[in-house]
Amino acid sequence: MTTAATTGVNTRSVLGVSANRRRLGEVPKYVFLTALTIIWLVPVFAALLTSFRTMDDITLNGFWSIPSQFNLNNFAEAWSKARVGNYLLNSFIITLPSLFGMLFLSSLSAYALARFKFRLNLPLYFMFVAGTMLPFQILMLPVFRLTNSLGLYNTHLALILIHTAFQLGFCTFVLRNFMRTVPGEIFDAARVDGCNEFRIYWQIMLPLSLPAMAALATLEFTWVFNDYLWAIILLSSDSLRPVTAGLATLRGQYVTNWPVITAGALLATLPTVIVFVFLQRYFIQGLTLGSGK
Amino acid sequence: MSRNTLRFLVVAVLLAAAVLAVAPVLAQDFITYNSYNGDPTPRAFDEKVVAMWNEMHPDKPINHSIIAHEDFKQAIRAYLTAQPAPDVLTWFAGNRARFFIDRGLILDFSDMWQAEGLDDVFAPGFTALATVGEGKYFMPTSYYWWAIYYRPSLFEKAGVKAPIETWDELLAACDTFNAAGIAPFTIGTRFRWPAAAWFDYLNMRQNGPEFHINLMLLKESYTDERVKATFARWQELLDRKCFIANPAAYDWNEAVDFMAQGEAAMYLMGGFITDTYPDELEDDLDFFRFPIIDPSIPVGEDAPTDGYFIAAQARNPEGAKEFLAFLASKEVQQMAFDELGRLPTRIDVDISKATKATQQGIALIQGADYVAQFYDRDTTPEMAEAGMDAMMAFWDDPASIDQLLEELEATRARIAAEQAGQ
Amino acid sequence: MATMTSTTSPPAPVFLDRLKRVNWTPYLFLALPLALYFVWIIAPTLYSIYLSMTDWDGVTAVPNFLGFANYQRLFTDRTFNEALVNNVRWLAVFITVPTTLGLGLALIFNQEMRGGRWYKISFYSPLVLSLPVIGLIWAWVYQPRAGLINSLLVGIGVQNPPGWLADRDLAIWCIIAAAAWRQVGYVMVLYLAGLKNVDPTLVEAAIVDGANRRQLFQHVILPLLAPVTTIVVVISIIDSLRAFDLVSIMTAGNQRTQVLANYMYIQAFNNYKMGYGAAIAVILFLISLIFIGFYLWRTIRDELEY
Repeated sequence: MTTAATTGVNTRSVLGVSANRRRLGEVPKYVFLTALTIIWLVPVFAALLTSFRTMDDITLNGFWSIPSQFNLNNFAEAWSKARVGNYLLNSFIITLPSLFGMLFLSSLSAYALARFKFRLNLPLYFMFVAGTMLPFQILMLPVFRLTNSLGLYNTHLALILIHTAFQLGFCTFVLRNFMRTVPGEIFDAARVDGCNEFRIYWQIMLPLSLPAMAALATLEFTWVFNDYLWAIILLSSDSLRPVTAGLATLRGQYVTNWPVITAGALLATLPTVIVFVFLQRYFIQGLTLGSGK
Repeated sequence: MSRNTLRFLVVAVLLAAAVLAVAPVLAQDFITYNSYNGDPTPRAFDEKVVAMWNEMHPDKPINHSIIAHEDFKQAIRAYLTAQPAPDVLTWFAGNRARFFIDRGLILDFSDMWQAEGLDDVFAPGFTALATVGEGKYFMPTSYYWWAIYYRPSLFEKAGVKAPIETWDELLAACDTFNAAGIAPFTIGTRFRWPAAAWFDYLNMRQNGPEFHINLMLLKESYTDERVKATFARWQELLDRKCFIANPAAYDWNEAVDFMAQGEAAMYLMGGFITDTYPDELEDDLDFFRFPIIDPSIPVGEDAPTDGYFIAAQARNPEGAKEFLAFLASKEVQQMAFDELGRLPTRIDVDISKATKATQQGIALIQGADYVAQFYDRDTTPEMAEAGMDAMMAFWDDPASIDQLLEELEATRARIAAEQAGQ
Repeated sequence: MATMTSTTSPPAPVFLDRLKRVNWTPYLFLALPLALYFVWIIAPTLYSIYLSMTDWDGVTAVPNFLGFANYQRLFTDRTFNEALVNNVRWLAVFITVPTTLGLGLALIFNQEMRGGRWYKISFYSPLVLSLPVIGLIWAWVYQPRAGLINSLLVGIGVQNPPGWLADRDLAIWCIIAAAAWRQVGYVMVLYLAGLKNVDPTLVEAAIVDGANRRQLFQHVILPLLAPVTTIVVVISIIDSLRAFDLVSIMTAGNQRTQVLANYMYIQAFNNYKMGYGAAIAVILFLISLIFIGFYLWRTIRDELEY
């Protein structure tokens, strides 16, 4: 399905500069795109529909049938009885500090790597880049032992620290490349005015990097928020679990009750959707900053 | 986002981190309890037991976490080596418990066992499951049976006589059901273990329980002709299309739907199937012993035992022992028996009011010459993993069995050598 | 780099001045992040490399040192090889299908068009769903009995529709398809952003020079998008090598769908073979490094030109 679609797409459009011929091409293009979009969204709609239905309805009429009625009971069930509300709170308690921690620390390291010439510059930069490729499973048991010996096992702080540290590589990579695009004249001028490096970083570089950081934050929010494995390994109390790990508990609890499970899953998705909708601009602006030279 | 906002946020983060660092301060007398009872019915029971305890002991409440079954199995080593570890944990008897006991991760609660006089009220077989060397490490509290569950109405419809007692009857029944358009057996092998039950039973019926358990203990070879004979039996069933199509697409409780909706007649499953089976259909659900292949061979049954242990690094070992004693008490076992149909490990539990099904299950186990735990509890985790992989590969391509068994044998030999070396 | 720090003062004092200033300032900035990075990432990684040469079970205090025995065993481990092949398949699909499709869609949506915003949102909406949720949804799409695909196939009269995830030959492709479904939107967003940065005057100049669409695409737009392509490829590699969640949710690595990350997890946490699991993780890391090596090499080249 995909390869056929690709060739169709490529031949029809190149940046849309030839305005004259566009009119005629419109109709098939819209038909094609609409069809593709519908196919694309079927799984998402199916999940949405399911979450409003009852299990009886599905058992009776099949998973892909027209729902006989809509109700919000599944959401209520997932929110209170399956404790999704509580899990969501934990997710925020873990995600937000991690996010700010990684952005702050990576802006420091990125600043150092982008603005100074020193012997370890490239090796350190490569270390951060290589770190982004690390299969995180390799860290699991050592990190578990570490949290344990620090007395951080079964605390949110352990998760905050590992998320912060693990994402430092990617954030440093992106921010460093962004900071290198900032023209050096600005800093020279500041230095002439007698600013020390920390003030240049704090008062000039950070504000200039805010768009990049906002973009990174959006991206990282979805990554950290959706983490599942670290939560399982580093927490033993159900009451501390974030929503992704909580969903696993929910799946056990509702076995084959798909409507409640999907309702819980959609609730768990809601924060990332909201972030996405409101920060879409940043998300789109910032994603390629890492490659900008 | 302005500069000031950013500063504010950075400060907020640092503050939040500081607050969180000191957050999980627990009151001294808490008892932490982690369990894997994720499924709805056992979950409700688990929560009820904890509520009972909390009512009786408001001064040492339980801090209870229920973790999904598969997650729990993988996180257990983290729990047990954590500082502090959760106090009381659910676990399985057999090899899976021995692994941790041998490594000194489990608390010896002999003193409590003595004080409670448990020697007098536990059946000897279960006392043996609790004991390693001189100590008591595992508290077996309940067990259940495995059997072929079936719907009498479908048997009637297809004209098959229940119970099916011999191998030939089983094969004939498969043909009859297929002719009637009903799948003989449903099975969901997404997580593989329901297939392992078939291996357990075929191997025990074909070769006897002694050979089976020696195979589990890695003392017999997987390339042995007897293992091949077991798989040959299995292949007979596959050739006759005794199972639903695409079993690997379903997990065990999804596969129950085939039976509930009348598309399949039987399911080789543990007694916990009734937790999931639709209540309104339970009148039309019965079970019988796995058919006998060779009457001259002793009968082995799978009857996995569940229970609890205390982490060696428990924060509150005294509280843990008290709670463990409560979990093993007559009162709780009686409740588990009455409400969940789990069989008690204590001999003083009143089983006179057992349902017909439960009585039948007890008879099934009592009629066995040997009781095994289950494939993935009797053998080592690594062997179980390789074995169940091979079973699924065999299911897909029975002709590859010789090669699969050779690989299994290589794995077995390696693990056995590693064990001998330790 | 030079442009940022260069001054107009005479050479010798600058050199001394730099030695004094530059030597400690960057390290001051780096101190905190590096400390955290070292404690939580570098040290554990090195520790895992050490573990990969032991028989550690995750519990014993002092494991036996085995040298490269674990690595030797990997060569003969059928599941490992299966997982390796699956990761390669994943990677091959990821750097071809979602990339081209995402680029194509980005080119379409880069034009002003009615409802373009909604089409775009449709394609990247899967991105906000977490992988466990995507796994759940697609498991139902593929469900052989009542799932979307087979309901349709039966509806148009297909007698024996495939078992999808239950079919050992198809299962891994089904999972990769679900992953690619999510990835397309990601790639599209990246390319859309890249196209925004393409200087329209360059395109216009090419048109004035009489370039046709193919030439315009091949010789102007594609080269201008090269930095984005690099990022897309890097992300595809990371994602396909780390692939874990979908496999774990949809098949638990059964049905010949094992991938390295999941196999490592099973060995370490299910089989209690931490040493062996660490060896798999190290291999996974080394493979990643081969790919990232290319990227680093390119970067070094560019850096040295500064």
